[in-house]
Amino acid sequence: MQTFEYPQSRRLFDRACEVIPGGIYGHFSPAPLGQTAAFPFFAARAEGARFQDVDGNEFIDYMCAYGPMILGYANRVVDDAFRKQLALADAASIASPKMVELAELLVDRVAAADWAFFAKNGADVTSYAVTIARAATGRRTLVAIQGGYHGTHPWMQAPGHHGIAEDDHRHCIRIPWNDVAALERVVAEHEGGIAGFIATPYHHPTFQDNALPAEGYWRSVETLLRKHGIVFILDDVRCGFRLHRGGSNERYGFTPDLVCFCKALANGYPIAALVGTDALRTVTANVFHTGSYWFSAAPMAAAIATLQELERLDAPSLLDACGRKLNDGLVRIAKSHGFTLRVTGEPCMAYYRITDDESQMLHQRWCAECTRRGAYFTPHHNWFVSTAHSDADLQRTWDIADDAFRALKATA
Amino acid sequence: MNNDLLKARLNLHAVLRNLEDLPALDARAAEMIRAWRMAVCFSVHGGPAATLEFSDGRCRHYAACPPHPDVKLFFLSPAHLNAMFAGASSPLPLKGLSKLGFLKHEFAELTRRLQYFLRPEPERLAEPAYLRAHTLLTLLTGVFAVRHLVELDPVAAQLAAATPAGSLQFVVDSEGPVAHLVYGSNGVESRKGALDRPAARMWFADWPAAYRVLSGKLDAFTATGKGLLRLDGTIPLIDNTSLIMERAAGYLA
Repeated sequence: MQTFEYPQSRRLFDRACEVIPGGIYGHFSPAPLGQTAAFPFFAARAEGARFQDVDGNEFIDYMCAYGPMILGYANRVVDDAFRKQLALADAASIASPKMVELAELLVDRVAAADWAFFAKNGADVTSYAVTIARAATGRRTLVAIQGGYHGTHPWMQAPGHHGIAEDDHRHCIRIPWNDVAALERVVAEHEGGIAGFIATPYHHPTFQDNALPAEGYWRSVETLLRKHGIVFILDDVRCGFRLHRGGSNERYGFTPDLVCFCKALANGYPIAALVGTDALRTVTANVFHTGSYWFSAAPMAAAIATLQELERLDAPSLLDACGRKLNDGLVRIAKSHGFTLRVTGEPCMAYYRITDDESQMLHQRWCAECTRRGAYFTPHHNWFVSTAHSDADLQRTWDIADDAFRALKATA
Repeated sequence: MNNDLLKARLNLHAVLRNLEDLPALDARAAEMIRAWRMAVCFSVHGGPAATLEFSDGRCRHYAACPPHPDVKLFFLSPAHLNAMFAGASSPLPLKGLSKLGFLKHEFAELTRRLQYFLRPEPERLAEPAYLRAHTLLTLLTGVFAVRHLVELDPVAAQLAAATPAGSLQFVVDSEGPVAHLVYGSNGVESRKGALDRPAARMWFADWPAAYRVLSGKLDAFTATGKGLLRLDGTIPLIDNTSLIMERAAGYLA
């Protein structure tokens, strides 16, 4: 099977390094990919489930822009809605009717929502949710899950990271996932001091296997938080609308006070949303939070179109079926070559790890071999499927995985 | 936190330890110690101790004092030892009074030679052998600092607590494995050389790349994208170790 080269990507990266710190920043940085040389750095175009890099190589994309893409790139329905609104008004000096329409749609669609608020990125709304929890309770401590990611604001970064002061995380207590007893202990030790508890619907950290909620976990958490007046914040930024049409809490049967959405909300257009219950409406109105582009109407139109398309397609069912099919095929192919591919988390956004090598170097090499053959796999973040991933894409992916395993064995 | 204690341990076990490697990197240092046969012990009251044993043209570093060293230099406190390293104080010789002249002249010249390589003037770095020596000693200083930082620096301790157990190998492609760290249930161990089946590897393309990254002149993100640095295996081991090693500079500056 032909493997790809990336001369244009590398030339562009050299240019980028001259004018951008790190060349490519944040979660798009190539640094943690392991076999960096196997990966393209810059995309030229994207359509459906595929993107083409600046060297003309085409990839079936299993990162889906790290979550925003859910209906396929260049989705006609969503893009038309965006363009139509853009022609009318996007950034203006007063709010758009689209803001009201989108809020109404979310309130209608999301059971936990009596109101909605809009921003741009996941961290905008996770940080806002924490501030609201503090304002609502008059307390300052936040409880979060070890390894849970809620953005890059200083309050959630680990100690010792560049630019993070020890005080920044003083009021954030981390407990293990799926550990109700740990939450009970923390609540007892800080009686009357905990403002909020923030977690993702299931545990999807990077660099480690993902974990679904244990039976009864969310019910116990919800009961405990209610009893102690602690604001229950669901960070549904990554999972939102992939697992359930009304937010991932419905998938697992619990009711948070605040839910943070972003990524898949507008199929790639920049918008985030915080929704919440009536009890927090007034305090939310009183907590000032805004941004230059948080009223842009075109992404709101894209979000409305995305939510309607997701509903029409029954996207969570499609994604689940696609994920299961992909995973079953990959596990079977791995086994046929004598490898064990472990798949954790929800099928439509699973985390993969070859368990035959604890160092993960083997897994990094396999992801690299797949990527340079045209299936874009990163080694330490959960992947995503979209409604645009077709059976033909899956078959091509399995062929690539098969050839990549063969290459691994040849160089072992 | 007692910064003086941590600084003293870094001075003794990370900086001074480099005298083991200096003769292999510097002909002048090798010539200086060629005929030396003695054990020089550094002992801090209520604090760390270390011994430099010179014999057969080599220097060996131990993290303790032997029962009968040839020279024993005593320090009243970690701050006293740190002051000596800063050139602002002198030790109290408890043993080997006849060697005071040696300490004042020959041994002091050797430590100045170490400083010559650890604190480079920019123009010297144009010389490949000097750059290699400086970079290797800098890397080893960082690697051997980790255990002490993890034990005495609260932030490093938190980083270590979040670091998966396993081993990290530092490799310079043009040279091979240089040093490694092992995170285990008993803390962190630092060693020179290669390691079988490390959990993570930090590969520098060559010594100039290693110099630029370790000196902070080039960030790891740029270096990785340009192929000057490769990180593979258990990436959190590398991330957290880098953050821990960076903290050494705050104590040794």
